[in-house]
Amino acid sequence: MNFRGGWALIKSTWLSWMQHRSFFFLLAFLWMISPLIYLFVWSTAAGDKTVEGLTRGEFVAYYLVLILVNQLTYSQTNWTVGDLIRDGRMNVLLLRPLSPLYDALSAEVASKVVYMAFAIPMAAILALVLRPELHVTPRGGLAFVPALALAGALRFFWGYWLALLAFWATRADALLALQDSLVFLLAGQVAPIALLPDLMQKAATVLPFRYMIGFPVEVLTGQLDGVELGIGFAFQAGWLGITLALFVAMWRTGLEHYSAVGG
Amino acid sequence: MVNQILVNNLSKTYRVPERKPGLAASLKSLVRRTYRDVAAVRDISFAVEAGEMIGFIGPNGAGKTTTLKMLAGLLYPTSGEARVLGFTPWERRADYLRRISMVLGNKSQMLWEIPPLDTFRVLGEIYRVPPAEFERTLDELVELLEMQDLLTRPVRNLSLGERMKCELVAGLLYRPEVLFLDEPTLGLDVSMQGRLRRFLAEYNRRSGVMVILTSHYMADVVALCPRVILIHHGCLLYDGELSGLAERLAPFKLIRVALGNAQVRDGLDLPSGAEIIERENGRLTLRVARSKAPSITAYLLNALPVADLSVEDPPIEAVLDQIYEEGDA
Repeated sequence: MNFRGGWALIKSTWLSWMQHRSFFFLLAFLWMISPLIYLFVWSTAAGDKTVEGLTRGEFVAYYLVLILVNQLTYSQTNWTVGDLIRDGRMNVLLLRPLSPLYDALSAEVASKVVYMAFAIPMAAILALVLRPELHVTPRGGLAFVPALALAGALRFFWGYWLALLAFWATRADALLALQDSLVFLLAGQVAPIALLPDLMQKAATVLPFRYMIGFPVEVLTGQLDGVELGIGFAFQAGWLGITLALFVAMWRTGLEHYSAVGG
Repeated sequence: MVNQILVNNLSKTYRVPERKPGLAASLKSLVRRTYRDVAAVRDISFAVEAGEMIGFIGPNGAGKTTTLKMLAGLLYPTSGEARVLGFTPWERRADYLRRISMVLGNKSQMLWEIPPLDTFRVLGEIYRVPPAEFERTLDELVELLEMQDLLTRPVRNLSLGERMKCELVAGLLYRPEVLFLDEPTLGLDVSMQGRLRRFLAEYNRRSGVMVILTSHYMADVVALCPRVILIHHGCLLYDGELSGLAERLAPFKLIRVALGNAQVRDGLDLPSGAEIIERENGRLTLRVARSKAPSITAYLLNALPVADLSVEDPPIEAVLDQIYEEGDA
């Protein structure tokens, strides 16, 4: 492992990205729009009462946490990896004595710093205006950290292995669009999982998408009891294991297919 | 000398999707895709010793870059073997990648938004170059390439030639033992091409780095590479000294004659195998079959008032053009 090289990459990527910070601030803002819409829809629906046990303030808390979790776990490099393979820019990364994974991770770390510089103040202002009700228990607070880390890793490697399909198919990024749609439906964005119809709830519990965003939000907002927390972590770790295995297999076999287009 | 690159029967075949034009073919390809095998490199073998500078030449699509990419570990071969510095390139071991460099004429490893110096420092960390050695190497390269004023300007503001200088520094900062150069002078003006050639020759002399170069500019190859490997349609056609290329592959020579009497008759009686290709102010250029060059030279000296005569190999570009044309026929 070359951590010095990885850290240098992060610094340079960050310096490079800061040249376009307004573009990334705009992206961070656009990613907030959808959760904000559902925040207003559900908090209005709750009014002075509750919907499935959640009050207006709890919906506000849920979606404000979701905005931050979504941006912290969002993996935009999944989109760029396919392009790197298709147009041959991966050549430059493959020639280095450092896994190309470092390049993607450095972009993720650098981008999170830029996005959070925008998203945290925005969430704070929204919190002042919309008055969320967030009841963080010690167990929820402690469990949130690993849940968030696993969610970030799962979302990153899940998108990465899908992007690696570009070794075989030229337009594999259509699958990334499908993945984003499933994340939207089953990861707790359109509604907290507990509010989904029964069949969708079951699908959300079994499939990996909830564990990319919704699960850490549910953990921090105290929606899960001890058993649900344990089952959630088991699913999250299980999916991460499967995803890592898929990533390694796709990477190894994909390199043998790589056509390294371009000079 | 020890062979640092050994290539044995290396082949690479690409499988490319194929579709006829038109809507019907487009719809059919949705259900059933058809593929065609394209042999980019076929059974080539060669060896390179430490410190050599070799020119890979051949027309577009000959397989030069594909061979280089296999040797740099970017591509898996379909069959055959290669060992570079004792490593199998496509295993892509970090120890191997630290000892080679590939500079691609149209793929940049510079970060566009920040000055080159920042990218160089990142590369120094990635290749684990000790700080003192990094500074020493950087100073040497910057001085050789005369690019002191480029280091702090964002790469996006540099010209093509200035960016190529940066690519060379990036590729040599960690003092690789093997340098693969793919079209390094592509798109550069004549003066910049000359400057980069002088740099490469001087750097090879100083460091002993082994260089394999592909270029469509024969001037690059003539200036830098005593040895050339000619590839066409994926096959190795020639491996040897540049000066021997015409001898081996061009079946003709050029005889240039200056006549003492400027009046050259139109109906000059030439022996078979000789053909006038240029006639100007009492000067003739004849193309003659290589085997007949001595007898035709003797004939010309006897039959004409010759003031001056030279027998030459044809220009290398003409030889290559003929080989490429024949190969495509």
